[in-house]
Amino acid sequence: MNNNKLTVSHAPFWHDGDSLFKMNLNIMIATLPAIIFGIIQFGAPAVGVLALSLSSAMAWELIINVLSKKKITIGDLDSAVIGLVFGMMLPATSPWWLVITGTFVAVVIGKMIFGGVGANPFNPALVGMAFLMLSWKVFFDFDAAYINYEFNFTALAPLAALKFQGVDAVADLFPLSDLIMGRQVGAIGSTFGLGLIIGGIYLILRGYIRWEIPASFIAGIIVTALCFSMAKPDTYAGPMLHLFSGYTLIGAFFLATENSSSPANRIPMLLYGFFAAVMIILMRNIGAYADGTVLAILLLNLVNPLIDTIRPKALGKGISNA
Amino acid sequence: MIKRSFFTLSQPMLNYDLVEPDPKELESIPIPPNLILLLNEPIDSTRPPLIKKGAAVEKGEKLCLYNDSTEYTISPVTGTLTFIDTYSDDFGNTSTYLVIKNDQGQTTKTDSAIYDLKDDIASADQYLRTLPGAPPLKLLAKDDVKINTIVITCADTDLLSTTNQYVTLKFLDEVKQGAKVLKRITHVPNLCITIPEGLNIKEEFDSIKVFKTALKYPSNLPAIILKDHLNMILPAGKKPEDIGVCFISAEAVVSLGRAYKTKSADFEKILTVIGKQGTRYRVKATIGTPLHKIFKAFSILVNDQDRIIIGGPMMGFSTYTHLHPVQPDMDIVMIQGRDILPEISDYPCVNCGNCLRICPANVPVNILVRYLEADLYEEADDKYDLSSCIECGLCAYVCTAKIPLFQYIRLGKHELLKLRAEV
Repeated sequence: MNNNKLTVSHAPFWHDGDSLFKMNLNIMIATLPAIIFGIIQFGAPAVGVLALSLSSAMAWELIINVLSKKKITIGDLDSAVIGLVFGMMLPATSPWWLVITGTFVAVVIGKMIFGGVGANPFNPALVGMAFLMLSWKVFFDFDAAYINYEFNFTALAPLAALKFQGVDAVADLFPLSDLIMGRQVGAIGSTFGLGLIIGGIYLILRGYIRWEIPASFIAGIIVTALCFSMAKPDTYAGPMLHLFSGYTLIGAFFLATENSSSPANRIPMLLYGFFAAVMIILMRNIGAYADGTVLAILLLNLVNPLIDTIRPKALGKGISNA
Repeated sequence: MIKRSFFTLSQPMLNYDLVEPDPKELESIPIPPNLILLLNEPIDSTRPPLIKKGAAVEKGEKLCLYNDSTEYTISPVTGTLTFIDTYSDDFGNTSTYLVIKNDQGQTTKTDSAIYDLKDDIASADQYLRTLPGAPPLKLLAKDDVKINTIVITCADTDLLSTTNQYVTLKFLDEVKQGAKVLKRITHVPNLCITIPEGLNIKEEFDSIKVFKTALKYPSNLPAIILKDHLNMILPAGKKPEDIGVCFISAEAVVSLGRAYKTKSADFEKILTVIGKQGTRYRVKATIGTPLHKIFKAFSILVNDQDRIIIGGPMMGFSTYTHLHPVQPDMDIVMIQGRDILPEISDYPCVNCGNCLRICPANVPVNILVRYLEADLYEEADDKYDLSSCIECGLCAYVCTAKIPLFQYIRLGKHELLKLRAEV
């Protein structure tokens, strides 16, 4: 008889083999269609912005890990995803300091000071983005950003054109096929609608994002925009322009679905997605911003803990002893 | 180990194994030279014990520690008591273990003590608690517990185990006879039986309601059977007996029937043994046989840092010793090689919601775990349904951050009981 030391622990003794690393890796894989298209469209500067964004986001987390003498956590790729999604929302011509400042705000202020992964009340990439948009608004004027580019399609950012020239002016400028196929001016990873949808569907099928959020988000965009355009077709654009321009689709699949800042119960997820979309259309149609996606999702992040209390009753709760 | 499938839009499917249609005969493990019995009562050194080292014991003799003990065990062999010491389980509860040297050799024919069994539950409770399958006679004999439904479970509770299915398939007539005995001694009006869907048996039981349970885990857990088949909701923090339902395994019913027929006890426990590669063996071993004897019989090598799991992969427990004996309620033993042990982490919850969606009891595990990590057990129970948990282990199985969720929940329940006991 031998006297081996056995491993002793509690049930369950199985695990389905999933991990944060795998989850985040899959999110990064899902961004590839949109990113590759963005690189083809906007060239080497787009590669530079994405690479700097991803690497600086991870570097910020590493620095905070070292400074706070905590375990090094960049291996879970959470900051990599933040950096990548953040990079996708920037114009390809962003200067290096803008990217680094943005990822600092996103990773350090948006995530690390709340306690790291899982503790952030807001989507970190959006915190960084909101900070940049409020501080250096001029860099997010996509028309100015791509002034030196020559495109074989309308070189106007659809939402800005809509805001400042009105719905009549843009009606013929942006055919739906152009918008879906990415023939529009915008941020690196946000123009190729089809690619974002493919990536999003991949994530839904793999179970890494919850389908309720993107579905209700898109439904919210369509319903609200339709209401506006039916009420005043001369003033407000139809739902398809809103859906395939600006940050709408990246918001639906990659921003609103960020785990720790979104609800996890079914009804709250539907409410969250829908009202984020309603807020976006309200901001675009009535508010001062050309694209309200960033602020709208941040606003709903704020409401998330409140609405996530709507949940089914647990088994056997509230039943008097029979 | 069952891994996540590539597409997981729907929930992972953990299905119960079905016993093969024509199962092989059981492999018999010889009676070992030394048997170990667990007695569910701690040693009190201030009192004179009834049993002492060196005492001779008869097959079928009832062993208890003190004069007024209510807990007992039955010696499965004729032999000598060689050792008595304290055993503590994974929650630190202490009991006693006895080592009995087998003097009868390999003969199973040695006559067991004849019991004076009458047709009432108290008489059965006096001798038959440690029958293979561990019939819940103590519970049924309690005066303050009113049981009006008994559910015979032919469907095994945890994954991989097929012990009770095997018993049902092979000894269906004895299950029916045992059920009659059970009805006669308990006078319980409702008798039900759970049979897994797809198990190929003739379902003709007189005056027993048959419940077909789904193959999807956790449909054979008591709380789920209550909900799905009896239309009863188990109140949070209560046990099935609190609402008048008692669960008894098919094997226990069979051995109860046999015991009443022969007026003596049977000691051969049927076990499902799962080797490192997932190979399944089905064995018959005497209660008290140390597990290493079983592993030896199938040349299963147990190395350092391997895990011996008793009771199934989702709800069982792991033991720290090869000497752990076969117990009356032990349906499955599995070995997990150290190279496939899943790791757990100290990561915080990332709120992915996997646990929430898979929880059959709708417990908000993602919020609950934050309270449990902070040792806020009362709040965890009041606001986040700690005691609604039916302990299926699915939350920890699917956790992306690999948080030991079920471990937290069990610790939380344990601490909560302690807290409430102190008040």
